[in-house]
Amino acid sequence: MSGATRENARIVFGVLVVLAIWEFLGSQTSWGVAMFPAPSRILAQAFADRELYWLHGLATVRTATIGFVFGCAAAMLAALLFCLSPSLELAFRGVNIALFAMPAIVVGPLLVLFFNGDWPQTILAALMVYFPAMSATLLGLRQVDPRLADLVAAYGGGETKLMLHVRFRGALPSLFAGFRVAAPLAVLGAVLGEFGSGTRWGFGAFLLSALPQGNPARLWGIGLAASLIALAGYALFLLPARRLAASTSAVTLSAVSPAAIAVSSGGRLRRIAFALVALALPFLLWWLMVTLTKVSPIIAPGPVQTILFLFEGRQASAARHALGLALGQTLPVAALGLLAGLAFAFVLAALSLLAPALARALMPVAMVAQNMPLVAVVPIVTLVFGRGVTASVFMAVLVVFFPAYVLLQQGFTTVPRAASDLVATYGGGRLKNLVFVAVPYSIGHLFAAARLVAPQALLGVMVAEWLLTGTGLGNLLNVSRGGLDYDMIWAGALISILISVAAYEAVGLIERKVVRR
Amino acid sequence: MTYMTINTSPTPPEAAVDLIIDQAGKTFPTPRGPVVALAPISLKVTRGSFVALIGPSGCGKSTLLRMVAGLEQPDDGAILIRSKHPEQFRKEGELGIAFQDPALLPWRNVFANVAFPLQILGRPIKPNNEKIRALIDLVGLKGYEDALPSQLSGGMRQRVAIARSLVSDPSVLLLDEPFGALDQILRRQMNLELQRIWAARQTTTLLVTHGIDEAVFLADEVVVMHAKPGRIAEIIKVPFARPRTPDLFSSPEFHALCDTLTAALHGPGAAA
Ligand SMILES: Nc1ncnc2c1ncn2[C@@H]1O[C@H](COP(=O)(O)OP(=O)(O)O)[C@@H](O)[C@H]1O
Ligand SMILES: [Mg+2]
Repeated sequence: MSGATRENARIVFGVLVVLAIWEFLGSQTSWGVAMFPAPSRILAQAFADRELYWLHGLATVRTATIGFVFGCAAAMLAALLFCLSPSLELAFRGVNIALFAMPAIVVGPLLVLFFNGDWPQTILAALMVYFPAMSATLLGLRQVDPRLADLVAAYGGGETKLMLHVRFRGALPSLFAGFRVAAPLAVLGAVLGEFGSGTRWGFGAFLLSALPQGNPARLWGIGLAASLIALAGYALFLLPARRLAASTSAVTLSAVSPAAIAVSSGGRLRRIAFALVALALPFLLWWLMVTLTKVSPIIAPGPVQTILFLFEGRQASAARHALGLALGQTLPVAALGLLAGLAFAFVLAALSLLAPALARALMPVAMVAQNMPLVAVVPIVTLVFGRGVTASVFMAVLVVFFPAYVLLQQGFTTVPRAASDLVATYGGGRLKNLVFVAVPYSIGHLFAAARLVAPQALLGVMVAEWLLTGTGLGNLLNVSRGGLDYDMIWAGALISILISVAAYEAVGLIERKVVRR
Repeated sequence: MTYMTINTSPTPPEAAVDLIIDQAGKTFPTPRGPVVALAPISLKVTRGSFVALIGPSGCGKSTLLRMVAGLEQPDDGAILIRSKHPEQFRKEGELGIAFQDPALLPWRNVFANVAFPLQILGRPIKPNNEKIRALIDLVGLKGYEDALPSQLSGGMRQRVAIARSLVSDPSVLLLDEPFGALDQILRRQMNLELQRIWAARQTTTLLVTHGIDEAVFLADEVVVMHAKPGRIAEIIKVPFARPRTPDLFSSPEFHALCDTLTAALHGPGAAA
């Protein structure tokens, strides 16, 4: 038996053992029956529900697929334009970051005001797909081997020829890597959109109707099925992405490092001007959207009206009070979840340096789990933690932990071999290596992880509040949606997006300070 | 072969000058301060001649070649190829180039890589199919037309790059250490082929090389460069009749000239 086969056999054996324990606990213990229903029961329930799965699943898959196609098309077009004009990218920085950081659950109810049918959830799926697909494509287009650029230039070719013959083909692996990350997000966007759109069909609707029924096996089935769909999207692009990466990477190392993109060039004045444009553009687009669609300003107020809602008139202080109260409940939980999730991920990634076998076992689980749509864990969180504040915290920890762990683990593996060897040469063990080499080296990755997951923490808490706890900002938005309090929906969405963007930027700022050192 | 060797001495009027480098220098700004890659230098190359550039690593040979190809702008002075600016000249497809590194497109097979310059120049490929195959044959890669660069050895990749540099029928050929990755036997073979190609087409050729024997065997004149700052130390004419045969490698005159060149390389003013 070869090493790979033995490894696979070990994995299959491990999975079987876990399933057997689960089956035993889930059928033989009272808490197991309530929280971890046995796989056989989940399957039996799913079989009984098969017609529901078919109808709901079809709706979600269709929505996610259409959203994915639209989102990727927009992303590729934007990446092409940004590659041709770095100034354009600077101007759209605000829009891009807002799209990345927005808690998707607040956007669903807004889209319902402009579109009907399946479009709100389809567009939400597209919006969630846009940022990862765009940034991956842009990275691919920009990463041109300088030697190939020289070759094209030496035969008199300009940017067009370079784009046509080198950039497009060279960007394919990045493009597919972007698709791979974006596909599960399309499913998440579709399901989050279904919560807010009031549609009858789709996993979002299925979950909403199943939550109060108290049938653990059905809840687990929904969570697992939603995860399966998302992971299928991920897997669909896994193989082509690998193939393309193998056929595209240069055979020899580039002698010259690629020229840094001259975004920071230009005077101070120019930078400030671009920052202002980037800040203004999202609001301008918002204003254009409500003006051009001719939706009543009562339902869809512009930016000015929404800000006035919070600061002028009789309702202003009441509205501010309600928002303040909600934020007071949401933000501490999100911050706690973020810090706990990051700390947990950091400790576990560091520990796996001391015990490499642990890392080998955990990494595949984390890779899979980070692509699970976070709504899929809602059933599990409810069954285990109930509907209190612990459910919110745990939800935030869960959405933070997996991507952070994957990133940190990758950070620890980039530690140069020579540095570790140096510690070993002087008789230092794994612990010394960890303290003096690995941790300092992976600080950069810690910040990258924090920036990536900070908006996720807020989204996780808001989803929990919306579906389970009935407190905080998530609940305020859900209640306002039910009560047709449009001004409050818009104000809440604005505030939560601003907070997300601020968190993202704050981490970036601290990162630049620390890394510059 | 009468007027093969012209440089600082006044040019006879009947020999057209293909390349004029006039007081062109290059300084790179780096985080640790400016690096003088090349002090202002001057050089003239007559049409159809073969010039070899030789010097220690870091003396600015690649920089000089890149300036001639218009990939770097000289800080001051001027460079003219056939009375045109490099940017203008290369658009006409009259320039062939092979870099120190093969710089192949990893996703294209050998045939498509060799054909690449034609595509950039907007020329059709179909009518040139035969020529491309002949070039691949010439560099000894017959049968590898469909192989990807990742399936070739370093020397084979370098030969693809050499074939590619010839595909546009250039009148000026720039070669930056093209045989660096080849073993000694193959290198001799390629030297003979290069001489044949050059003699058949009368291509003005600028060859950067580390091999003193290679320079003497191929060139009409050898430009010896010194480093810190990069500059031309001496220009040595090679008087041997053409076509040159492999016997030349073992002749005493050949060895004497190689010794002269070695002395010039390490001569007064050469950086320690
Ligand atoms: N793009 C660049 N930026 C900074 N320094 C450079 C650059 N290109 C070349 N140099 C420097 O210029 C000098 C000459 O380089 P090069 O022309 O490559 O030398 P050679 O080909 O003779 O070995 C070297 O010191 C090199 O470090
Ligand atoms: Mg060089």
